[in-house]
Amino acid sequence: MNGNTGKIVNVDLTAGKMTVETLPEEYYRKYIGGSGLAAKLFWERGNFAADPLSPEAMLLFMNGPFAGLRLSGASRNSVAGCSPLTGHWGDSSCGGFFAPELRYAGFDGLILTGKAAKPSILLIVDDKVTVEDGSAYWGKGTDEVTAALKAKYGKDYRTLVIGPAAEHLVRYTMILNDGHHATGRAGFGAVMGSKNLKAIVIKATKKDMMLADPAAFDVLRKDLNVRIKDALASDVLHENGTAANLMGGVYSGDVPVKNWTSNFWEEAADALTGSTLTDNYLTRRGACAYCGIACKRYVEVKDGPYAIPDGPGPEYETIVAFGTLIGSIDLAATCKAGRVCNDLGLDSISAGGTIAWAMEAFERGDLTLTDTGGVELKWGDLDTVINRVLPMISRREGKLGELLADGSVAAAKKIGKGLDYTVHSKGLEAPMHDPRGGGHGMALTYAMSPRGACHVADPMLFVEMGARYYPEIGFDFMLEPKTGENKAEAAVMSVALGAIENSACFCQFADAEVTIPDWLALFNTVAGYGWEAKDMMAAGKRVFFLKRLINYRYGLTSADDCLTPRMLEPGKDGEAEGSQVDLEPMKARFYELMDIDPVSGIPTPAALAALGMADEAKHVA
Amino acid sequence: MEFWKDEAEPIKAFLALFAASAADPELFEGLKKVNQLIWFDYTESGPNCSFYVDARGGELKFGAGKPADPPDLTMSLSADDAHRSWSDKLNPVMAITRKKIRVKGSATGLLKLAPKLKKVAAIYLKVLKDLGWEDKIIK
Ligand code: SF4
Repeated sequence: MNGNTGKIVNVDLTAGKMTVETLPEEYYRKYIGGSGLAAKLFWERGNFAADPLSPEAMLLFMNGPFAGLRLSGASRNSVAGCSPLTGHWGDSSCGGFFAPELRYAGFDGLILTGKAAKPSILLIVDDKVTVEDGSAYWGKGTDEVTAALKAKYGKDYRTLVIGPAAEHLVRYTMILNDGHHATGRAGFGAVMGSKNLKAIVIKATKKDMMLADPAAFDVLRKDLNVRIKDALASDVLHENGTAANLMGGVYSGDVPVKNWTSNFWEEAADALTGSTLTDNYLTRRGACAYCGIACKRYVEVKDGPYAIPDGPGPEYETIVAFGTLIGSIDLAATCKAGRVCNDLGLDSISAGGTIAWAMEAFERGDLTLTDTGGVELKWGDLDTVINRVLPMISRREGKLGELLADGSVAAAKKIGKGLDYTVHSKGLEAPMHDPRGGGHGMALTYAMSPRGACHVADPMLFVEMGARYYPEIGFDFMLEPKTGENKAEAAVMSVALGAIENSACFCQFADAEVTIPDWLALFNTVAGYGWEAKDMMAAGKRVFFLKRLINYRYGLTSADDCLTPRMLEPGKDGEAEGSQVDLEPMKARFYELMDIDPVSGIPTPAALAALGMADEAKHVA
Repeated sequence: MEFWKDEAEPIKAFLALFAASAADPELFEGLKKVNQLIWFDYTESGPNCSFYVDARGGELKFGAGKPADPPDLTMSLSADDAHRSWSDKLNPVMAITRKKIRVKGSATGLLKLAPKLKKVAAIYLKVLKDLGWEDKIIK
């Protein structure tokens, strides 16, 4: 097989048994890799009745076809399975250094099932996969464990580590690569925790890769690397990180304030934007494997209550989640909160979203001191958040820790109040882009995203800004962000493009420069598919459809393609004042264009058959 | 050109715009924060059709033509699209994506100015009126 290795390794942690398996090439042609291939394997083999935190649950780590090929932004990986936070399909993309190492070891993916008898580590050295004792690391933070593993095995061994929060089965926990790069969303850290797996350590020595046309790929790769690095957006991302345009977001109303009660906090523009981070705390820049953009930050806060030593710095999502969203514009505090989330192993988006909800509930009197065990929750009180709330959540400690450890939706249900001001879709707390300011099309794609509210499931955020243009496939939208006009039409292509990106495990910051002819040349020179644009777009659509079918098997229907009342209120201030998302017409049009049944929420049999998914159609008939 | 009779007209308008913007305390501060030498290159509309803004070192200078120092950022577009852009009738991101605006150098400073473009457009409207060029105003 060209491009991909064609091999995955199945690890049954209960039996301590490893099986290497060769997948049919057709799987790759139809579902590409990454989250698409994971969906295909989960569809076939997943235990849909299993609790996501039970030994029967399956956790998949999947590469895309370009992992390790020295192409900027193309060496991410996907982690997927049933999300313990939402109870249905989840996937999460991660940068860093795991994907190339897995590929060099000879695998496209890794599937974990079962539960180890005691805390363990999965060690992969080339094609040798073993389970080692991990008891010494259990209960410890990701920082300490990452350092200890690197000290034991070697600096060049790559690590995936969970924090104490995942051991306590907090439902929005992440998996951290090399102490910096997070598989953040959907709570897969807890799935590793439930399997007694503290870490995965990997090292490969070979780099042999079979490509369909290595010479042509090399020319293309070099050209793309230059174009990606030289792009305007790349320069900005390199210089000031993913928060580079936070200032613009504040003025457009994209940056949510105090649990989405406001869209505008003018002082936040200067206080939290990427250049302020650069000027005050940046020590150096970092990158995922082979990426010339290098948008990652290392920061040091030298003094004050939020002093932290030199180490990984916050990205845009963390800055807003622990900034304006919870009523603060203290940038040093967001640096510290991000560092604490990393060490405890918490997804900063869901953690910030859940705490913001709790702060509003407390302000309204829906949550009382009795409910919180005496902890006062006040907007902007980062001392309490960092020193008390996050550690309590991570250990499910006290009433407050237990209440918030399952996310905002579960907490609202538990107290019987406040569901109307949760901010999520399908149970996944929304990222830090408010569609009332950022664009109504994003509201549609939040609602349609199989994993729940997500800004990276597809490129709609960038589409509405005007930063995506693919004339070869008729993707030439000039959209007015704060309306619903033409958003369904744009979303139809956007979800397919997003599925391609996430199946190819290509970073959205980097692939903005990849044109449709480039995408085709990549697939064709690497894997030799001989694809035309229609074939590639069909693969993207197929992946999107399959994830919807998986969710249908979990009991989700079109009624779940929704947003919460808070997200549908008109914007109250700033540029987004009066901007109100009218979701239903966009949703109806999207279903119509995609040939999705408006009741079941799944594609019609004809739509599935057109994509070669007749078997899948039979399964849900 | 759709809006201009010759290549001198747009430069006259844009320099007047920057003079008026520099007189506005908020924009003056915003421009200084850009801290870059920017060349607005409209030479595709005429060989002398360009101007520069030098916002380095806490000062603000501007003038016609290409700057003597190498610019930190060059923005190349047509004088008509520049008119649309200063009138807030051209989405700059969209124009860059479609290569109507070509950018060379670092745009980090310019991002700080982006939120102020609406205010700049309001000033531009007044500048056009003051120049007696109401017919150039894009409705
Ligand atoms: S742009 Fe940033 S997140 Fe994306 S691959 Fe490069 S370094 Fe990683």
